Amino acid sequence: MHQPILEARSVSKAFFGNPVLHEVSIELVAGRIHALLGENGAGKSTLINLLSGTLRPDGGQILVDGRPIASLTPQEAHQLGIAVVQQELSLAPHLSIAENIGLGAYPRRGGVVDYGRLAAAVAEIGKELDLVESPDTPVGRLPLGRRQIVEIAKALSIKPRVLILDEPTSSLSAPDVAILMKLVRRLRDRAVAILYISHRLNEILDFCDHVTVLKDGSVTADRPLAGLDPDGLIRLMVGRDPRNLFPPYVSRASGDLVVETKGFRAGGAVDVDFELYRGEIFGIGGLVGHGQEDFMMGLYGAIRAEAEQFRVFANGAAVRSAPFAKVADANAVGVAYVPADRRKEGLLLPHSIDFNLLLPLFASHSAERRKGAQETAITERLAQRLNIRGDRRRQAQALSGGNQQKVALSKWLALEPSVLLLNDPTRGVDVETKREIYLALRAMAAEGKAVVLLSSDTPELVHLCDRVMVFNKGRVAATLSHAEASEEAIVAAAMGVRKAPTLQGEAV
Amino acid sequence: MLGQGTRLYWAIQWRRNEGLGALFLVLAVFAVIYAILFPGILAVGAMAKFVQGWFPTAMVAAAETMVMLTGGIDLSVGPMVSLGSVVGASTMQGPLGIFGGVLALLALGTSVGAIVGAFVAIGRYPAIIVTLALSFVLRGVALLIMRRPGGFVPPSLSEFLAGSHPTAAVLVVLLVLLWKFYQATPLGIGLIAVGDNAEGAYRSGVSVTTVRISAYIISANLQAFTGLYVAAQTGSGDPLIGEPLTLSAIAAAVLGGVGFLGGQGAMRGALAGSLLMSILINVMFFMGLPLVAQYVVQGLIIVATVALPLIRASLRRAS
Repeated sequence: MHQPILEARSVSKAFFGNPVLHEVSIELVAGRIHALLGENGAGKSTLINLLSGTLRPDGGQILVDGRPIASLTPQEAHQLGIAVVQQELSLAPHLSIAENIGLGAYPRRGGVVDYGRLAAAVAEIGKELDLVESPDTPVGRLPLGRRQIVEIAKALSIKPRVLILDEPTSSLSAPDVAILMKLVRRLRDRAVAILYISHRLNEILDFCDHVTVLKDGSVTADRPLAGLDPDGLIRLMVGRDPRNLFPPYVSRASGDLVVETKGFRAGGAVDVDFELYRGEIFGIGGLVGHGQEDFMMGLYGAIRAEAEQFRVFANGAAVRSAPFAKVADANAVGVAYVPADRRKEGLLLPHSIDFNLLLPLFASHSAERRKGAQETAITERLAQRLNIRGDRRRQAQALSGGNQQKVALSKWLALEPSVLLLNDPTRGVDVETKREIYLALRAMAAEGKAVVLLSSDTPELVHLCDRVMVFNKGRVAATLSHAEASEEAIVAAAMGVRKAPTLQGEAV
Repeated sequence: MLGQGTRLYWAIQWRRNEGLGALFLVLAVFAVIYAILFPGILAVGAMAKFVQGWFPTAMVAAAETMVMLTGGIDLSVGPMVSLGSVVGASTMQGPLGIFGGVLALLALGTSVGAIVGAFVAIGRYPAIIVTLALSFVLRGVALLIMRRPGGFVPPSLSEFLAGSHPTAAVLVVLLVLLWKFYQATPLGIGLIAVGDNAEGAYRSGVSVTTVRISAYIISANLQAFTGLYVAAQTGSGDPLIGEPLTLSAIAAAVLGGVGFLGGQGAMRGALAGSLLMSILINVMFFMGLPLVAQYVVQGLIIVATVALPLIRASLRRAS
């Protein structure tokens, strides 16, 4: 491992005058698994796009085999053996698995796609990846995790010398992750240079050899991984002790009931008994697709729900005695919902941050003229609460994922909701923003709001929540108190393992 | 293409029938009704005439489908057909005769397609705006060349294309074969990839620009030659004859399951859609409904085919 196959040498890139990368260098060497770490907005995606020819650097050079390439295009990158597994899939749902795998680099015979060689190539890669689906299946027919496997197969089909994997495991099931890991190791042994991006630190420690850490567009570390532990990695990323990630646990739960359901059913969720108190942070866990999301949507009135008993209280008096028929009804009694997909459901991306923050207020003030000064005061206050910095007249899409999430969350605070339903608010969010969101949740609970936190991040449920309800196959598998809620107990309940929750305090 | 490859190709093509069953069924039912109402259609001569009537719609439906698959749309189909008929009928009088006319039409189709394609693929203008504006340009040019129907198509060509021979039927078969061939080329597969996920296709190394521009060029050529065919049917050029075809092309494509958002649909669907509409219009005509009623029917077909899946989805959600 001497000369790197692919190298970026002090590359810089700015978008609309905002510098995103500043003099970043990285060397991808044959037979090495190289981790790229950094918070959201640190410039990881931009760096990948530069390395794969999707974007061109403003300054600096991209070198392949030590030779500078003036303006790399994705096509050239393909020809040079650089393959990328993107986080946002590059698949065409209406094309078959085979056509997707070969896309952009079909084997040809006289101008026509050589389906014989394509079929052989797909079969060969399919065997390595356990791709059992028939190659003529349209990709749109596959569940998300399987599509990710097709995306990986597509990258492998060009027999890459450099393989860039951008959060490849975020939508994979455990067995698929295992297959991927084995494959990546095998590729390393075949002298492929691998760049691996993931937010799962254990994965990185498990099987990467070298790490480059980006912070605010600059490289802060470029070193072998040997001798690092998860805390060390986090310290490299944020420059702070990870123990501070979660604010100290203090229960603010009171005895005042806010929401009560018995025999609640919505979508895939059945027979849910649920009580929520003022000042409580109530966690909902479980494997994806086991009804917890349907429960939350039903609670909010976004999908049809039924219940034997359903009551919402305000100041001790019942203000609602049937499930919400529509979202506006829920908003009217102070129930707000922050969706997981902030880009599609949470924000109007082409509009300004200010406009997004004001949106929930427009519904209740629809007949009034807008008052500029008042609006500015409101957005100023909202921005402060979640530490949203910079010019708020910018479009929401100009923000990084984490900052978008902060806007999506704080816009509801203008309504002063009494119940906040949060659907995985920290998914794909960097550590720094996670921390800010945790602090905000604590603060809301302290104000007497009731927070329902649906999360795929088990440590969040363990460290933040007063109680945790775990779903399995549409039913509540366990409701754990803060003391009972260890990561093991939550995972066991989610997997349907009948295991008495071990009593242990805060596992830090 | 050897055994395994051929199998894969046809398996992929077969899967594209998904969702078209209902259309094929409706088409079969209407074909039977038509044959029962007017048994005369089953004679070879009458069948040839029917196919000639259907052929221009089939051509423009194919032209529209190519563009819609990439996520675009073409609102200038009718005026382009008119212009094709005018150009064809005025150049065939020249010294180069039929050959000169064909060259002129190739030049027309290729240049117009390249211009629209460049605006859409390179300039990133919305296809709906570019082609709407273009439709006025093309209509104007056609009227400038020929104020009223005129020009001349050699009788031999008229007889060959629209006489008593089943040439149109052969041309349809040819069109389908060429399409099957195109679907086996990277550019042809690229149509769907670009319509489905342009960003992803670009990152995969597909030349999105080439795919789009080729689609517009081929589409415009199909339209220009539809113009020649229409001129051959009447023996002269007509600057307004193509007008109804814009609506027919979109209606046939939509009826055939081609989506407005790109990537979705198959050529066979659009062809079946155009055939179903031709039968409908013929039935309406024989039943004594005025010819202009076809606009009402075509418009309703577009709205209904777009609305039906939505209604079905909301019913499913409610139940």
